[in-house]
Amino acid sequence: MKKLALIIVLIASIVLSACGSGKAKGPVTISFMAWGAPEELAVWQQIVNDFQAANPNIKVNVEVSDWDSYWTKLKTLMAANTPPDVFAMDAPLYLDYQSRGQLLNLQPYIDKNPGMLDGFYPVTLQAYKLPDGYYGMPRDFQTIVLFYNKDMFDKAGMAYPTGNWTYDDLRSAAKKLTIDSNGDGTIEQWGLATDLWDMELTWSEAIWSWGGEVISADYTKTLVGEPIAREAWQFLYDMMWTDHSIPDPNTSGQYGADLFQAGIAAMTSIGHWAVPGYATVEFKWDVAPMPISPNGGRVTSVNSAGFVAAKASQHPDEAWEFIKYCLSEAGQTRLTELGLAIPVLKSVAESPVFLNQKMVNINQQVFLDSLEFSRMKPVFRGYEEWSAAIGDGMAPIWLGEADLNPTLDSVVPQADAILTNNQ
Amino acid sequence: MEFGLKPLGRERWWLFLLLAPTLIGLIIGTFGSILATLWLSFMKWDLLTAPYWAGLKNYIALFTNEVFLKSLGNTIKFSALYVPGVVVVSLLVAVLLNRKIKGLTVFRTIYFLPCVTSAVATALVWNMIYGKDTGILNYIIHLLGGQPICWLCTDKAMMSVVIVNIWGAIGEGMIIFLAGLTAIPREYYEASKVDGANDIQQFFRITIPLLTPSIFFQTLISTINAFQAYDYIYMLTRRNQGDSSVPVVVFSIYRNAWNFFNYGGASAQAIELAVIVIALMGLYFWLERRFVIYE
Repeated sequence: MKKLALIIVLIASIVLSACGSGKAKGPVTISFMAWGAPEELAVWQQIVNDFQAANPNIKVNVEVSDWDSYWTKLKTLMAANTPPDVFAMDAPLYLDYQSRGQLLNLQPYIDKNPGMLDGFYPVTLQAYKLPDGYYGMPRDFQTIVLFYNKDMFDKAGMAYPTGNWTYDDLRSAAKKLTIDSNGDGTIEQWGLATDLWDMELTWSEAIWSWGGEVISADYTKTLVGEPIAREAWQFLYDMMWTDHSIPDPNTSGQYGADLFQAGIAAMTSIGHWAVPGYATVEFKWDVAPMPISPNGGRVTSVNSAGFVAAKASQHPDEAWEFIKYCLSEAGQTRLTELGLAIPVLKSVAESPVFLNQKMVNINQQVFLDSLEFSRMKPVFRGYEEWSAAIGDGMAPIWLGEADLNPTLDSVVPQADAILTNNQ
Repeated sequence: MEFGLKPLGRERWWLFLLLAPTLIGLIIGTFGSILATLWLSFMKWDLLTAPYWAGLKNYIALFTNEVFLKSLGNTIKFSALYVPGVVVVSLLVAVLLNRKIKGLTVFRTIYFLPCVTSAVATALVWNMIYGKDTGILNYIIHLLGGQPICWLCTDKAMMSVVIVNIWGAIGEGMIIFLAGLTAIPREYYEASKVDGANDIQQFFRITIPLLTPSIFFQTLISTINAFQAYDYIYMLTRRNQGDSSVPVVVFSIYRNAWNFFNYGGASAQAIELAVIVIALMGLYFWLERRFVIYE
């Protein structure tokens, strides 16, 4: 009996002390969640440390997970009504959360800081702006550019890609740089490696440059099957299946992540997030703008990752303070040092902090200049399901199992049905 | 037949008290989630806002959604290949290892190892075996003068994935069959030998009939596993954003729930999967009464 009493006392004391600490006056703790590689945690922690030094009354707990688990974890926490106070957002997915009432309207806070958004690149704000204000703030942006392996161009005695390159130049260079060195029928070096599942890396650029559209302005109709878009698809199709200068996914899959990084592809089109990985390779490389289409158009894709605060947050003021800090010059400078992205503040992007990054010596200006002819990756409710319908639907083409036109004919109505469901 | 001691008086309370943690876990965790899934399958729910009544919409979608129908077809095809494969191969391995040979424990351990190894790690190794230009299998084929085969391309992927899943399940089946084999009395074999039966006759006339309880049990377990198979398939056939060259129903459930904000549809798919498995179990138990021999 004595033992039992002791246990009860122990349990009671634990429970009571836990209740007590909740009420104690002290620094407010907020949580912050982002996706990223494990090494990014250190950088976020650095930003948090700087922030805490400037705001001794706020403590920030940082958590970094890989892309897939990040979204699963986030949704679970939201369903339990315990979302992180501040968390990272990818612009195309923004409305899936905003339209479900999960995000805090930041407009009242922005109104208290007049002129705060003046230094931002306007295109980055576009994705988060809604009729009743901003429910998120861009933290960085990504323009897609052409990366090329200088050593491979040198070895072939070819001139590097320039700002005047057309898609035909790209195609003929890719063809010349696709090499089966021992003549056994297996290609050892590919001209261009890219991912054709998602629109961001290649196909939205091609369709827009040709003069087509991906989706209607009111997000009710899928336009990837229009005649002008089909010309762009056909071009990519011919590069893969006539020239064999783009490896199909079955071939590229066996090399793991990235064929350009692995040194088996001469070119790739990707964003700045690839730079830290590419900084570790042995060969020399640089970047050039995306090429001009046969119709004379040139469009690249721009996407923006951002910060949002949870509507259910107990500490919205502190959450805003943290967001504001990350968007200040000090915060943006730290983020730029990560090397993964381009800062949204012009003053930081156009300074040596971004342009003369120590990690690699490449023409960083290309990323900024590409903004001039860039278009925002579409942002609408149901984006993920819609893009899966197109990505999965078009996959048989890239796997060499289906023809282009009949596949497009069947993919477009499926994608349209998803748009209708998400209205 | 009754086993053990009956609890008396106050012991009864202790019995329930000590069983309570497990029972409560079972009631809330298992039955609770089954009921919740059933309820959600009639709802439209995106996890973040309140669910609302959807009637039979989610169930109608099971018959009209082409992506789901394709994944259902894959699951059925996979099960039809996997279940007989596991039963036959693990039975053969068990019979081979049920004799006095050198290093018996080593062999048994080797066959059982896949069961205790992380599926993700082994699938990565299988990726190295199956690779078209980089794989070990095609290297061997090349040495023998053959043409490389794309093992994980869409047309061959099903077969390749079934092979890996069977390989991974041999160990479990082997244990079940070894237990069944040890239970067969030696005298049957000795008596039949005197009557002039050879090894093959013994296998089909004595071993197989007396093993039917084990075969029945193994078929049952393999069928349940086949309908839930996910890990090896995911690791070997995944493409971008949860797509796969062999998308099975579990893929579809996961994507609808976690990627497409469609928890109602995912629940209906899970219920359909459960109904199919339950129907098959019913069929098995009917067959059991006709064909399984208990001594």
